[in-house]
Amino acid sequence: MNKLSSLLIAGLMGSLPALAQDNCATAIPITAGTYVIDTIDGPQVPLPVCATGGNTATRGEWYVYTAPANVSVTVTSDLPENVAVTPGLDTRVHVYTGSCGSLTCYDGDDDAGSDYLSLALFNLQAGQSVYIAWDNRWESRGFSFSVTEGPPFSEAVTFTNVTVPVTGTLRAAVDMNNDGLDDVVGINTTTIDNVAYTTGVTIAYQQNGGGFSAVSYPTAQIPNTPSWSLCAGDLDGNGWNDLLIAGGSKVTLLFADADGNGFSNDTTYNQYVFCQRSNMVDINNDGLLDAFSCHDVQPNVYFINNGTGTFTFYQGGLGDTPNGGNYGSIWTDIDGDGDVDMFIAKCRGGNQVTSTDQFHRNNGDGTFTEVAAQYNLANFTQTWSAAWGDFDNDGDMDVMVGASSFSAGGHKLMRNDGNTFTDVTAGSGYDTFTGTNIEHITHDFNNDGYLDIMGGGNTIMMNNGDMTFTPNPVSFDVGAVGDLDNDGYMDIQTGGTARINNGVGNNYIRIIPQGTVSNKNAIGARVTITTASGTQIRDIRSGDGFRYMSYLAAHFGLGQDEEVLQVTVRFPSGIVNTIDNPSINGTLTVVEDINTSITNATKEPLVLFPVPTADLLFISGDYNVNQPVRVFDLNGKLVKQAVVNGNHITVGGLAPGMYVVEVQTNDGPVQRSFAKE
Amino acid sequence: MLRHSVRPLALITLLALVALAACTKEPLTGTPDEVITPEADAVVFDPATVPYPTLSAYKFFKGPMAQQRPVVSVLPYEPITPLFTDYAHKFRFVWMPPGVKATYNGDGNILDFPDGAVLIKTFYYDGVQPGNTRRIIETRLLFKRFGQWEFADYVWNAEQTEAYLDLNGSNTPVTWTDENGVTRTISYRIPAEAECHTCHKVSDEASPIGPKPQNMNSQYAFGDGVKNQLAKWVEQGYLQSGYPKNINTVVAWDDMTKPLDDRVRAYLDMNCAHCHTDLRHCSYRPMRFAWNENADPVNQGVCVQPDDPIEPSMTYIVARGNAARSMMHFRMSSNDEAVRMPLMGRTIVHQEAVDMIATWINSMPVPCN
Repeated sequence: MNKLSSLLIAGLMGSLPALAQDNCATAIPITAGTYVIDTIDGPQVPLPVCATGGNTATRGEWYVYTAPANVSVTVTSDLPENVAVTPGLDTRVHVYTGSCGSLTCYDGDDDAGSDYLSLALFNLQAGQSVYIAWDNRWESRGFSFSVTEGPPFSEAVTFTNVTVPVTGTLRAAVDMNNDGLDDVVGINTTTIDNVAYTTGVTIAYQQNGGGFSAVSYPTAQIPNTPSWSLCAGDLDGNGWNDLLIAGGSKVTLLFADADGNGFSNDTTYNQYVFCQRSNMVDINNDGLLDAFSCHDVQPNVYFINNGTGTFTFYQGGLGDTPNGGNYGSIWTDIDGDGDVDMFIAKCRGGNQVTSTDQFHRNNGDGTFTEVAAQYNLANFTQTWSAAWGDFDNDGDMDVMVGASSFSAGGHKLMRNDGNTFTDVTAGSGYDTFTGTNIEHITHDFNNDGYLDIMGGGNTIMMNNGDMTFTPNPVSFDVGAVGDLDNDGYMDIQTGGTARINNGVGNNYIRIIPQGTVSNKNAIGARVTITTASGTQIRDIRSGDGFRYMSYLAAHFGLGQDEEVLQVTVRFPSGIVNTIDNPSINGTLTVVEDINTSITNATKEPLVLFPVPTADLLFISGDYNVNQPVRVFDLNGKLVKQAVVNGNHITVGGLAPGMYVVEVQTNDGPVQRSFAKE
Repeated sequence: MLRHSVRPLALITLLALVALAACTKEPLTGTPDEVITPEADAVVFDPATVPYPTLSAYKFFKGPMAQQRPVVSVLPYEPITPLFTDYAHKFRFVWMPPGVKATYNGDGNILDFPDGAVLIKTFYYDGVQPGNTRRIIETRLLFKRFGQWEFADYVWNAEQTEAYLDLNGSNTPVTWTDENGVTRTISYRIPAEAECHTCHKVSDEASPIGPKPQNMNSQYAFGDGVKNQLAKWVEQGYLQSGYPKNINTVVAWDDMTKPLDDRVRAYLDMNCAHCHTDLRHCSYRPMRFAWNENADPVNQGVCVQPDDPIEPSMTYIVARGNAARSMMHFRMSSNDEAVRMPLMGRTIVHQEAVDMIATWINSMPVPCN
């Protein structure tokens, strides 16, 4: 029932019924001050839920507040009179914009106050109104709460909650119907006789112009659910993305119909697989997308696409630790040689061998060699995922190996130095960041041109551009990432709620490579952009972090740069297509085209120029810059040994004549001849 | 084939008499018991050729195998608090070759077993529908050879006459009605070898879990009378005498006469400690659930924040006074295979245990801060 103070307010306002705050339509208008709820007993349950803890509340109390100016507003039950109550109070609050018939979460909180008390902090514009609703998710006892105003606060990135009409287990934010707009994918499940089945796929299609329209596609009753992870890609090349359901004991491939209007063809592999992270990637680079799953307790498994609608199951060759420990696989070009490598974030109690991370370097011939130790990546931190991105925009993939537990070391920020990785955690912000998670992902959330990282502690670590990171608290955990309102800022889907990035006024470009020779999604492609600020790279990936499937595109923040000088897409086939001066603040689709490829080779050919040269000899192509270059005369005599300075060596001291240069590549030494004037 | 056939004749004779006496007490439904002869107690275990393709090849049992009546050299045992596995009932037995025995290695450690030791565990349900009959599903073996433990699993046929070696893992539907008239249907999981190993290991070395002195120091109704299990093992020649008399012994988790805290600790020890102990599968999480460590509230997870925010409103592993905010209670209450705890060995909630945990947590005064 309602309070003395409510009654006083009602009395002051003259005509409000005693049960005023029991529902949204009769919410009591409030200003800054302290209010008392004596029991949460209003019949209108606050929905949607804007805080953690699920939707099992049965009662609510409603208020409406209008900002008198541009202010920050703190709504909290963390007040001394509440803290003094025994046993301790447990409150939850929701803050909505919109009308009572169409409420949208604006903020909300469960436990940010002391003990289980709540604290919601948000900015409002002058005149903007919000509904403030408390519920009885945890209990119905009354308490006091306060509303206070302060100057608006600034954040690097902020989000607005939007309800997405998706049902089932939310796992993906990815374009499913090839309209360039990221959709939200839920997997519908049911439990029959204590067995969980997948029964359908619900896709909330992002609409042109905003919003979502959900369609549910029933599937066969599949005895497997994406409890551990889900990934997507066009496995059969029919133009529609398929799904991989990674469950606790098996893998299911679920294929989209030819018309994209259903998922009717599933292949459940009955080999025992305790799935963890799953991915789609063209493992043998034959142009056909394959599938991969980490195995928790055995060697990893993969499914090679036969090109005939069938896949062959393999176990062995891609992480063969007998007892597994494989949690976070991610496929990306780690050594920059043009083919896709795999890193596995590993975890295991009592076994440093099994918990040591692995780097499976692609030999370019369909085989892989585990070289983590060689690259200083053989850490045994207990990790379930690692965020791979070029954090310092120097053209190679760095990594933040995110700890799931600090029991065997903390987060490790590792800078790619060409032939090794250097631990640069100290002073980076990750040495003092205590949040842990099984999820670690990297995207540019504020479009400033530097990849940020999200892991534990409901925090996005904002990249300062110098390999240091600053925590930016948010009110939610990691989810599936996509641009869910097509504004060029990456949003995060958690459960049924899209966390829509409010943006900060930076520019961006989104690039969608489309394979023709390569797999259709161009998974494994390296996208490079050059702007006045420098160069950024992204790899197209199906499956990052631990559990979710995020957008299949390359998203670049541009900061205040107004133009992109060049976009380069290196497809898995080796075809390289470039686009000069594309439009920004939109999506660029790059179709793989062998006729306009700047090279048909898998690797950049090794080229020396100018020839002849008098002094500086430039060397371009894929070679190891950190290993010395040797120069021989035509008799085979070593006449010079030099380290490449940027992109050249000096040969001015050599007598005129023909010479042979030998550089080191991942495939061994390669020789080229040149003339010295 | 090596046959470990006979023990000293005097003992055989004695045990044969005992066995005969014991058999008369058993609710036999099959053929009359045969007279136990030395040949009938010829358990077959050749380290060079195990595991055998069939369970019957070991000759662990006399009479129809489904009756699970052990030959005299196969000794039944029972841990004081058992592991919950979807309400399955279990027969447990131990066998060792003649002339060797286990030794005490600490109250909370597995007995130091000799090569050739075999632990036998048969999983079955009573009241299986539609016939309201007993169905034996599998018999798991842990055997030790060349200093290492290995796994074998035998899946029973529909006729309940034989069980066949199968370590690939499978599911089988079971519908049964329990003693309280509750009917449940599950997809019973018969583990693959890697699943066995996930729980049964220390570092990467396979290991039993149950036969620790702390779990065995109890009275058990053997065929020849009630006796302390450890004493019986000594009498059987399976355990070196001289182990300590004051064993720090677990309680039965469902013994309402025991302190709630001890019952919870015993349950956590048997159901959780095989992962949440140093050198085990999940030792990187902060809990330490073994009986000899879990009296410490911090090791129980009391007011310890979870590493993995799988459900953000679960603010502590055990939130004092608030089961609804406790990750332990949340995970034990879930059937989601990515959420549930224990991770393996169950597909349905052990409601009686969850209720106990809730009572335990809610009885704790002073919330966490």
